[in-house]
Amino acid sequence: MLLSDLTVSVSRLALVGLAKNTGKTEALAALLRELEAAGRVVGVTSVGRDGEERDVIDVRIEKPRVRLPAASLVATTGELLRASALQHDVLERTSVRTPLGTVVIARMRQGGAIEVAGPSAAADVRAVSDAMLEHGAEQVLIDGAIDRRAASSPSVADGLVMSTGAVLSEDIGEVIAQTADAVDLVRLAAVEHGPLLAAAEAIVKDGVSALLDEHGRPVQLAPRFVLTADAEEIGQLLDDNPAAGWVVAEGALPDSFLRGLLQAARRRDREVVVVVADSTRVFLADRGPAWYASQGVHIQTVESIDLRALTVNPVAPRSHRFDSTELRDRVAEALAGVPVFDVLAADYRDMLSAAAP
Amino acid sequence: MPRSVDLTAVVPYADHLDDGLVQLSFTLPVPYSLAARKAALELAGKMGFEDPEVVHYQQLTDGYTYFVMYGRCVQSIDFTELQGDGFDIEYMSEEEIERFAEEQVGRAIVVVGASTGSDTHSVGIDAMLNLKGYHGHHGLEGYRSFRTYNLGSQVPNSVLVAKAIEVGADAILVSQTVTQQNLHVHNLTELVEMVEAEGRRGEMILACGGPRVSNELAKELGYDAGFSKGTYPHHLATFIVRELASRVAAG
Repeated sequence: MLLSDLTVSVSRLALVGLAKNTGKTEALAALLRELEAAGRVVGVTSVGRDGEERDVIDVRIEKPRVRLPAASLVATTGELLRASALQHDVLERTSVRTPLGTVVIARMRQGGAIEVAGPSAAADVRAVSDAMLEHGAEQVLIDGAIDRRAASSPSVADGLVMSTGAVLSEDIGEVIAQTADAVDLVRLAAVEHGPLLAAAEAIVKDGVSALLDEHGRPVQLAPRFVLTADAEEIGQLLDDNPAAGWVVAEGALPDSFLRGLLQAARRRDREVVVVVADSTRVFLADRGPAWYASQGVHIQTVESIDLRALTVNPVAPRSHRFDSTELRDRVAEALAGVPVFDVLAADYRDMLSAAAP
Repeated sequence: MPRSVDLTAVVPYADHLDDGLVQLSFTLPVPYSLAARKAALELAGKMGFEDPEVVHYQQLTDGYTYFVMYGRCVQSIDFTELQGDGFDIEYMSEEEIERFAEEQVGRAIVVVGASTGSDTHSVGIDAMLNLKGYHGHHGLEGYRSFRTYNLGSQVPNSVLVAKAIEVGADAILVSQTVTQQNLHVHNLTELVEMVEAEGRRGEMILACGGPRVSNELAKELGYDAGFSKGTYPHHLATFIVRELASRVAAG
């Protein structure tokens, strides 16, 4: 099974890394090669910058180039299109300005290497993705940047490929642990109970966070309460609402709130479920969702993210490397149900040549 | 008759146009000696300089030698290529900014700034926002058209975002010393993601500053602009008023 086989049915596919140099762009390059071989027309955008020759923070690190076949669609800046020296037709000039210029949508008349820098803001990413689909792309690939996750929100993309790698730690056990936390976060359970789900959906839509009792009756929270409240304020809120077991956060859910809630709930011997629109709204620090759940604070979502696969990069540039097979096996063992790939491993390339017509 | 500059092939200038002369200085961890001098010359050659010349060298301390050299740079830059999208900002003066803001925005522009996360340095933010400013350029606080909030250093992203929403910020300015460590980069991306999670990305201009922040890095981090060493408050103000005016015009 190739990475592209697992993702081909996803019309807007996001690629997100746990950090820089986890091999996101290599995953993108592999997908592009496979889709080209299958004769699929793709559209590509990047929330950051892709296909640059050198790393923006550490110039000693060489980055993979992004090669687009002829007839591909791309959302990047006019400047970078010109710099590619490849023939193309500009289909649309957007009003999206980036630090590297204004974004245009183009169809490549000629294949070759190009730097891709599309919109950064999630709403704009969705807009250019839809535009490329309308212009005839059969699938749009949205490449992430650094550790940014916003483009994987269900409001932007329909599916996700995550990338992790040796760069996270010199200790392979720590790499597995951090990866497991990140995947747990992406795979947070959606609210199952019908009336509660409906109530949570309404709260997220209205943009006012609230407490819910088991019947889904809302008690609105003060503006920005979830962003700023401490354990004492949260405790007061729990005391005022003894039947409430659910907190619905309409926007961001920072770790500081979860910590405060944990402290307040523990002291009162209560279990609480916190509901967010989707997992991109959750900002954890050093503990993952499983740890919070074990302490009585459960995080659930209104919408889930469709995680299709995980890619691993066993190499930390200019530092250390792990054995690819060992890393893949240990990640797969820790994360049931997620296919794991190393697109640069020899066995993957063998599979690729076997699949070629 | 003075020669004119060829903007398609710009080279460094020292005594006359197109001489390409560069002065460089560095220290080698080798004892002060003729061999040290020879090493410096060879190194400059490897750097690509032609006719390298040591004009001064001295012992710094035992086992270390300091050099001042000249060399001719044979590379050139096509400056005309760099004047397209994203590079063509001409800075306005303070008076021009005030007038532009009045005409194109027509209300106070609200800016919230902080050094986020674990960063203890607030120097950059203070220089941009506080009345005192630096090098005789006062900060945005001194502009009629701006209302500023400087939250200081080590501000958690959630607190910064809450304040920005509370005061209806048009722009958030953060400074962070970016190093190869993922932590610093993570503080910067987390702010962008939190603004997204709050559904406010479309209403807020995000700018980041720091000694190593380039436009390329700003783009990867998800910011609308990046500011580095050599930025004065009126540079930042020019960017904010122009960007805001474009957004107002686009409705």
